Amino acid sequence: MNVPRRSLLAGALGVAGLAGCQASGTFVPARAITHTGGTQAGIDRPAPQPHADLGVFDVTGRPGQVLGGLGDLVLALTSGSHPRLAGLPPGDLTVTVGAGPRLVSAVDPELPGAVDLPVFEREAITHPCRGGDLMVQVRGTDQLAVSLASAALSTVDGVQLRWRQRGFHAERNLLGFLDGTENPRGPEELASEVWLAGPGRVAGGTIAVIRRLRLDLAGFAALPVTRQEEIIGRRRADGEPLSGGGTVSLAAKSADGEYLIPPTAHVRRAHRLATGSGMMLRQGYSYDNGWDDRGLLFISYQRDLRTFTATQHRMDEGDDLMAFTTCTASGTFLVLPGFGPGAPLGGTLF
Amino acid sequence: MRSTMAMTVVLVMALAGCSVSDEDPARRPAGSGPVTIRVPADAATISAAVGAARPGDLVLVSPGVYREKVRITRPGVTLRGADRNKVVIDGEGKRSDGVVVTAAGVSVENLTVTRHLFNGVLVTGMTDESGTGIGRGSDGYQTLDPKRFPPVRDFAVRYVTASNNGLYGIYAFDATAGVIEDNYASGGADSGFYVGQCKPCDTVVRRNVAERNAVGFENANASGGLYVVGNRFTANRVGLTIASNYQEALIPQQQSVVAGNLIGYNDQQSSPAHAEGGFGIGVGISGGRDNLIARNRIAGNPAAGVVLASAEDLAPLGNRVLGNTLEGNGLDVAYAASARAPGERNCFDGNSPATEAPAGLLAAAPCPAGNAKGPGVPYPQLRQPGGLSFLEVPAPPDQPGMPDPARMPAQVKVLPPSQAEIDSLPVPDAALFADRAGASR
Repeated sequence: MNVPRRSLLAGALGVAGLAGCQASGTFVPARAITHTGGTQAGIDRPAPQPHADLGVFDVTGRPGQVLGGLGDLVLALTSGSHPRLAGLPPGDLTVTVGAGPRLVSAVDPELPGAVDLPVFEREAITHPCRGGDLMVQVRGTDQLAVSLASAALSTVDGVQLRWRQRGFHAERNLLGFLDGTENPRGPEELASEVWLAGPGRVAGGTIAVIRRLRLDLAGFAALPVTRQEEIIGRRRADGEPLSGGGTVSLAAKSADGEYLIPPTAHVRRAHRLATGSGMMLRQGYSYDNGWDDRGLLFISYQRDLRTFTATQHRMDEGDDLMAFTTCTASGTFLVLPGFGPGAPLGGTLF
Repeated sequence: MRSTMAMTVVLVMALAGCSVSDEDPARRPAGSGPVTIRVPADAATISAAVGAARPGDLVLVSPGVYREKVRITRPGVTLRGADRNKVVIDGEGKRSDGVVVTAAGVSVENLTVTRHLFNGVLVTGMTDESGTGIGRGSDGYQTLDPKRFPPVRDFAVRYVTASNNGLYGIYAFDATAGVIEDNYASGGADSGFYVGQCKPCDTVVRRNVAERNAVGFENANASGGLYVVGNRFTANRVGLTIASNYQEALIPQQQSVVAGNLIGYNDQQSSPAHAEGGFGIGVGISGGRDNLIARNRIAGNPAAGVVLASAEDLAPLGNRVLGNTLEGNGLDVAYAASARAPGERNCFDGNSPATEAPAGLLAAAPCPAGNAKGPGVPYPQLRQPGGLSFLEVPAPPDQPGMPDPARMPAQVKVLPPSQAEIDSLPVPDAALFADRAGASR
């Protein structure tokens, strides 16, 4: 069992707990993760672990049956009782499952999650990497446990892999900047911005958007740091917005009338106030596929797909950072409500 | 010159919130009804005088330079300068606002407000715990909750010269039933005049002059009963904008009237920059609905005279462009709605012969039916020259004062123009209020 390991680490845990969502690369959960209940684990609990393995699948079998079996497998893996974990303690392993628009719209086209993403600018997406029926996101501190769990989850009956991406989480992204900071925090903001309150069959779910963004690291690194900071809208060293004062001020100007955060800076174009959107919970992972394919596995959760689409359209229409990105995989998924014994995964829908 | 110094000053001053204390001694003359409180005879400062005033009182200010931020928090007070050009509230490039009105029935008249980091005159129902008005500024931005902060009612700003203020010259938001008339605004790093976040606004903006601002007049989410008539908006970088803005409350913008104005030659170099890069545009509507643009003279704007565009996912809908004289613009009319927010029912009638994009736009969209739903084409954009610090924009020429300021009765309520009055407004002459303008055109 993993109890001794947790008590060994107890000294470090209080610090990590205080640090909250600003996860460092060495986050260790303070408590055992609750995998059952109203919502799935891996979104609000724990803070993003260092390793992720995300798979997108088609569902060829009956969705209810496939998801039910998948839920049982998730509980067995995260409790450490499954032989495919090879005796490893699961630690903070989480598995989060979402259903794609084809499945959701077949249940009810009015449900959240029934509508697919539109096509955006700067996409180079081969057919299997757009859309999909099933998202399975495995995360954990122990890379070996993540790998083994992912292997077990990839071989369930009635699913067929479309694409897969592993990622790693660190304080900074591959551009060298501190990662997005304006996330909803605490149960109240999560309830108002992330979790779906209804209709009943999706309550406790949320809308996930997954975008794999290849980054032109060479091109970006070739720019002077001051230009990089204009593109992002923050200082590289400490993440301070170019408007100063700790929090982003879109209105701040110099005496001669120029915005301190330039009109085409990423933080301005992506700012939720500018589109009247809710907040996204962003939990991106960096990825490294070798040679010339490195970038960001963008993952966001929100109550309303428009929060993402309105923001992405606005970025397409004038965000200087977009010139350094190419989207190579894209999808949206209804993260299913929480599940557990007697309440099978996807049971309210399929 | 782009200056980080300026920003530092802005931030420091926003924290300091400098002002003269309202507790300075003031003598309110005896009288059974409203009285006149004279500054400095009865009160050393304007702040002390308005602090002692009761509803109906006139605070009459003698010529002088007043270095204070004036907050008017009591209803029914009229603040008036005895000489528009010689009564000067000077922010010295360090105070945030000149006059802030947060009470009903207040009138600000016949004086000059200059060199403030944010606003010359601010009228708003949005206040902090101490009742002080909150304007947009470099210290951050708070979104208005109109339920928590109902609009301030019955305001007037007239015969005010607002120059060299860092955000807006004269700014009314979360305010309704007002009049902004016979004023002059220059050197605004955002706009000379701004009316925003009201529904209905029931506000008249008339006979004003705006020049050498980034934008002459801005409307953001100001809807219903807003009449902008007979003004001169020339020699700014952009003349007039009407926008739906998600950053502010009461979106989308709809139903304002812009009639009988001179809107021209908006390619001024001796002004602060337009933060979004706008330059050479007369009238820009982005995401606005059911506005009337009638019998204006829109001339000599080198990018475009009238631009209809989308704002994020909000289309321009049902705007009417009627009987305007359009001449000498880079392009007279441009329909630039985006593919994701294509507009419709925008219509054109009775305008002078005009250049247009896309071709055939005006003929295909007569009133009242207007254009079929669809996107437009990008309009020609000019690269703007660097901006001038708002403190360095040339000072305005002396402006005509209000007649007989010592005896003119206070007046806040103004009837909006009738439809017949709007319909009979002539297209103004190209020399409208030229004698009040400092820029050569």
